[in-house]
Amino acid sequence: MAAEFTEKIVEVGGQKVHMLTGGSGDPLVLFHGAGGNTGWLRYVQALADHYTVYVPSHPGYHQSERPEWLETIADMASFYTWFLEEQGLEGARAIGFSMGGWIASEVAATCRHAFSKLMLVGAVGIKPEQGEIADIFIISPAQVNDLIFHDPKQAPEYDQIYGQPPTPEQAEIAEGNREMAVRLCWKPYMYDPRLPGLLGRVNIPARVVWGREDRLVPLECGELYQQALPQSDLVVIDECGHSPQVEKPDEFVRIALEFLA
Amino acid sequence: MFLMRFTERAYVNYTREDVLNSPNEAVRLTFSNSHFDPQLGSELYNMYLDEYEYSEEMGFDGLMLNEHHNTPTCLGATMNLEAAILARITKKPKIVLLGNPLPIFDNPIRLAEELAEIDMISRGRLVSGFVRGTGVESLATNTNPLFNRERFEEAHDLLIKTWTTPGPFRWEGKHYQFRVVNPFETPLQKPHPPIWIPGTGSPETLVWCAERHYPYLFLETDHRGTQDMMEIYAETARQHGYEPGPEHFGYLVRIHVQDTDEKAEEVGRGYMEGNIGVGRVPLPRDYASPVGYGSASRDPRFLRLREQIRSDPFRVGGLDTAAYDDILASNRWIIGSPDTVVSKLREVLAQMRPGILAVWTNDGSISHEDSMRCLELMGQEVLPALREIGEELELTDPFQKAP
Repeated sequence: MAAEFTEKIVEVGGQKVHMLTGGSGDPLVLFHGAGGNTGWLRYVQALADHYTVYVPSHPGYHQSERPEWLETIADMASFYTWFLEEQGLEGARAIGFSMGGWIASEVAATCRHAFSKLMLVGAVGIKPEQGEIADIFIISPAQVNDLIFHDPKQAPEYDQIYGQPPTPEQAEIAEGNREMAVRLCWKPYMYDPRLPGLLGRVNIPARVVWGREDRLVPLECGELYQQALPQSDLVVIDECGHSPQVEKPDEFVRIALEFLA
Repeated sequence: MFLMRFTERAYVNYTREDVLNSPNEAVRLTFSNSHFDPQLGSELYNMYLDEYEYSEEMGFDGLMLNEHHNTPTCLGATMNLEAAILARITKKPKIVLLGNPLPIFDNPIRLAEELAEIDMISRGRLVSGFVRGTGVESLATNTNPLFNRERFEEAHDLLIKTWTTPGPFRWEGKHYQFRVVNPFETPLQKPHPPIWIPGTGSPETLVWCAERHYPYLFLETDHRGTQDMMEIYAETARQHGYEPGPEHFGYLVRIHVQDTDEKAEEVGRGYMEGNIGVGRVPLPRDYASPVGYGSASRDPRFLRLREQIRSDPFRVGGLDTAAYDDILASNRWIIGSPDTVVSKLREVLAQMRPGILAVWTNDGSISHEDSMRCLELMGQEVLPALREIGEELELTDPFQKAP
């Protein structure tokens, strides 16, 4: 099915939130990662063939306003409980990617009726016991992109996403997004020590998805998420990096649809 | 005119290949300290202190120190310690700290205590400068660069209140909270030691300084651009009811003297391995200016001001990647015999009219012997001539006329 979505600004708690919406069926909310909202990619459309998909840009990202008080991932989770209420999306299915997985986890741990199913993909938020989460704040965006993929050639939309140098407007948005990530994730870097404890409260089905060759967030973090979430499984995709939804979209969508059904 | 001596106290016992083989090919932040030999470090710290002691003997009015972290380009990782030693072993010159990087301090009260001790031990000779620090300082101390300016301003306000308001009092700020601010030791100078701010001219800082009558010291900036930046300072000063003079401005420049021009130019090449490090490998942008560090620069008011500043001909890559001859030809580094140096400096001083001249006498691979000869010639020939020029050009300094 051809990509079909609308781009709109909704208001939550007096703050404007930029959001992409499309598809039909039960609601499914996607939480983007630290780099920003990557838009209506092939995997999003594939999900929209089965669900009404909502892709909000987090406060402080893209055209979404940041409330003055919002400085941490926990603040972000509070904001999203508000968002789900105001948008009538409580009980939706949710997928969180990377930093978005951390946000979605905090939401689920904070509010038991926020989601009906939770899927995490390469999520940060839990401190690895052996390895380290790569420090994306002391390397260039180009170096980060290099670390995201196991093999960029297998990502069908790689050129579409990274092939063109950004326009000045896009570059400014990207810089603003990076600043917001720095605001949210600087210290402790990309994790919250209380999260594994809090996740014991999550009483909905959860699936943790990881690229086996993830060089940004070690697979070990996926195992820790799986251990912390009471009703969860872990699906590891071979020959795949940090963003299976982009690097192996067909396999990713199959794994997602199987879980969400 | 106030004449102070400066060096970054470099460590140069490594190679360009070492830098190129280090993470991100960076000489700062991630350049492994396995390249550091503390035996040599021990010699260098003592040697640099000897040079500062000799600088007093040679008649400098001030001894300027700076601070950087995780880098061989500057051994002043805890500048206040060096300052405390100089406070005790020297008698006359001001001890000018340019500056303590405020945002990286989680406890500015401790800093207030250290500076008060230095001021008392030196019997009131401290000039307390503050900086935001380069991006490397933020990264080395894990201080969120996004809050760099906010923390700079709040730590400054807290320090000033600590020095000027009888304690105890409480501080409930955005970045700092203290239930009992009451350090028992306060500075000798009242209301507090003079505050000077060094920098390369971000309009935000120029405006902030002008609002507070703080002298601003330009660090090796382009001459014409510097005049534009002085005008930004002056516009704010006028809005606050005063006209700035030379006592509000300082200028840092590498100045090296030897007996002949030829010798000086040969020795002065050692500067090339100073600030940028051996091999002159440019620092990654994400180290120098991490995400969020320049966030305030998107403020339209300051964007407009930034556009008023004529761009530095050496801007791309800065002085540190420019060719030696080009730097000398532009008078950005002033190197030669005493006569040559004095005549070139006359031009620079007449054009920029700073009340404070920071003389960066040696750095990088310039040897101790050459450095000492440079200081000797400074004392015998250059400083007396500069004082005459200062008087002739009426370059009043902050100790002659309160800024």
